[in-house]
Amino acid sequence: MKFTFKGAAGIAAAMALCAPVMATAQDLVMSIGSRGYGGMVERNIKAFEAANPGTSVEWLKVSDVPGDSRKLYVTGLTAKSPTPDVFAIDVIWAGEFAQRGWLEPLSDYLGADTIAAYNPSFLSAATVDGKVFAAPLYVDGTHLFYRSDLLEKYNIPVPKTWEEVIAASKTVMEGEGNPQLYGFVSMWAKIEGLFMNWLSFTGANGATFFDADGNVAVNSPEAIAATQTMVDMIYKDKIVPDSILTMKPDDARTLFQQGRAVFMMVQDFVYAPLSAADSPVAGKFDFTRNPYFEGHPDGHSTAMGGWLLAVNANSEHKEAAAKLVEYFTSYDAQLAAALDENRAPGRTDVYAAPEMEKAALLKKLGNDFAVGVVRPSATTGNLYPRISETMQTEITNALHREKTVEQALNDAETEINSILGK
Amino acid sequence: MNRTMNLEQRTALTGIGFVTPTVIIIALILIYPIIQSVVLSFGQSSIDGSEPYHFVGLQHYAKLMGDSQFWNALGVTFTFTALSIPLELALGIGLALLMNESFKGKGLARLAILFPWALPTALNTLIWRWMYNSDYGLFNAVALQSGLADRPINFLGDTSLAMGSMVVVAVWKTSSFMALIILAGLQSIPKDLFEAGRMDGMTKWQEFRQITLPLLKGPILVALIIRSMDALRTFELPFNLTDGGPVNATESLSLYAYKVIFDFLDFNFGAAVVVVQFLVIFAMSLIYVIALRNKD
Repeated sequence: MKFTFKGAAGIAAAMALCAPVMATAQDLVMSIGSRGYGGMVERNIKAFEAANPGTSVEWLKVSDVPGDSRKLYVTGLTAKSPTPDVFAIDVIWAGEFAQRGWLEPLSDYLGADTIAAYNPSFLSAATVDGKVFAAPLYVDGTHLFYRSDLLEKYNIPVPKTWEEVIAASKTVMEGEGNPQLYGFVSMWAKIEGLFMNWLSFTGANGATFFDADGNVAVNSPEAIAATQTMVDMIYKDKIVPDSILTMKPDDARTLFQQGRAVFMMVQDFVYAPLSAADSPVAGKFDFTRNPYFEGHPDGHSTAMGGWLLAVNANSEHKEAAAKLVEYFTSYDAQLAAALDENRAPGRTDVYAAPEMEKAALLKKLGNDFAVGVVRPSATTGNLYPRISETMQTEITNALHREKTVEQALNDAETEINSILGK
Repeated sequence: MNRTMNLEQRTALTGIGFVTPTVIIIALILIYPIIQSVVLSFGQSSIDGSEPYHFVGLQHYAKLMGDSQFWNALGVTFTFTALSIPLELALGIGLALLMNESFKGKGLARLAILFPWALPTALNTLIWRWMYNSDYGLFNAVALQSGLADRPINFLGDTSLAMGSMVVVAVWKTSSFMALIILAGLQSIPKDLFEAGRMDGMTKWQEFRQITLPLLKGPILVALIIRSMDALRTFELPFNLTDGGPVNATESLSLYAYKVIFDFLDFNFGAAVVVVQFLVIFAMSLIYVIALRNKD
């Protein structure tokens, strides 16, 4: 009894001693997937802690599947939880989260020149009412991967346009005579990736989601023509397998890696598995910017994705949290991530760094981002998930020939206008 | 006399004492959410608290009536139920009769029959998704190599095939559950009834029609109620097999409600979908219960 009392008194005394230290110390919680940013998270946290004595950062590892981590965040943010202080968000959530008041505006903490260095199309996705709510961490986009050995065999130059891709696919498929070989694969299942694909195709024909006056323009003649090409690739040109309608990115990657496709349009994460030592297509493939349609060499056809860092609006350490965001997105940290972990920087000035000459792969990826197209998530905010769902449904209707392309896109326009309350 | 009254009262009191905790728990985890869903469905609020709850009456239900995706989901749910339940029942009775016979390796057969039901739906579904795959799936490999098909069949990606493919998985998985309940019913039929039947010169078919089937009515109805309720709120199956596709051809009510609530974060409208689904299942159960009562 006596012993226990002494013990409790000792703990109380120790706590009293610690209390002043605890009050000044800042314990930040940062939430990001364990794979997404590779080994950079731990490196950056260590360096940040060393540079900011008294501040410690706890890494809360969340799922790398965006839908799962989104549900986790939404639950916590709805309950006004002060943690995590800093968290990684998918580019398409930025507008919605900011509109809901869950994010602290970073414009108040970061300098104008820091913000000016960030990738502009990414920044636009995180800007609401002129305020920046998240800082681009890394960027990824879709690219056209192709079998360089097959194109060489048939003396076909790397295609620049969709017309050339279709023609090249036919030549190779006929030449090889292998019924198991397809011309083009991608992720056309009813997923977010399908909407990204559609933006690539329509952007390649000079179409935009909203027209210059801000009206929904998903059924513009350019968009209809581009969507028709997608449909024709399945049923008329027959260079795409029917199964593309159930493919997710990794399904397409598997087929391409087995040597069963000439072209593939997916995100850059496939580069590592495709070039692995045991990959059947290692050394036999390359990638280029997504094709455009004839007459639209400036068409924005690289569907962009990626992650940003944001500060929780209910965080108790906003200042320190913003500093952490600034550190992760600083020139040096981003350059290190590019060189050591192949993560495409979220700021544009890093691409000009002399060291980037060594990172030829990343530089090439970055070039394609110049013709990037982001999803309309910033302007539509918390209505974006519903708009994406509508687009996925109507594009699928067209691809399955349940509706004509024109009818599907007209229906999409009507539905989106009603969602937006227009 | 007084003592027996007291004993009865005491027994009743003990009974109430035993039941109360359960009732409280059921009220908390079952009835409260139901009431909360109804309340949510009649109001408008924002999950981030920027818009406090206010009553909007039948607004969400009016929107629901004009929502083509809801009607599609309702149709998908009914179609799925109407296709899968009769097949499961027929197969379940067959399996139960089989398991009721004595033959060599009966234990092994019973185990094999129950196996699909014991596996988690999500796991089952992933196995089937792989077998259905049109590029590397088992079914297409067999169909193509045996010459049954000259091009891959896209079981899950074709709007006219996806529902059928989903029903096959459901039947494969849950027939054994039907069989299990019906088997229990079969074993409770007194053997002397069959003996009497045989003495009267009944054929096997007459035995089945006039003894087995009438006495199985109870177990069959129970199995039907449980399975219909399951089918009307099917979620894991379309979620894992097709994610509602292609073109919402397999999007069940549960899946639609899930999307509205967790993807669109529209809890009020989502609650309206859930309440309608609740009413549908409630009505269905009522029909069965009345049917059961008439039997007695």
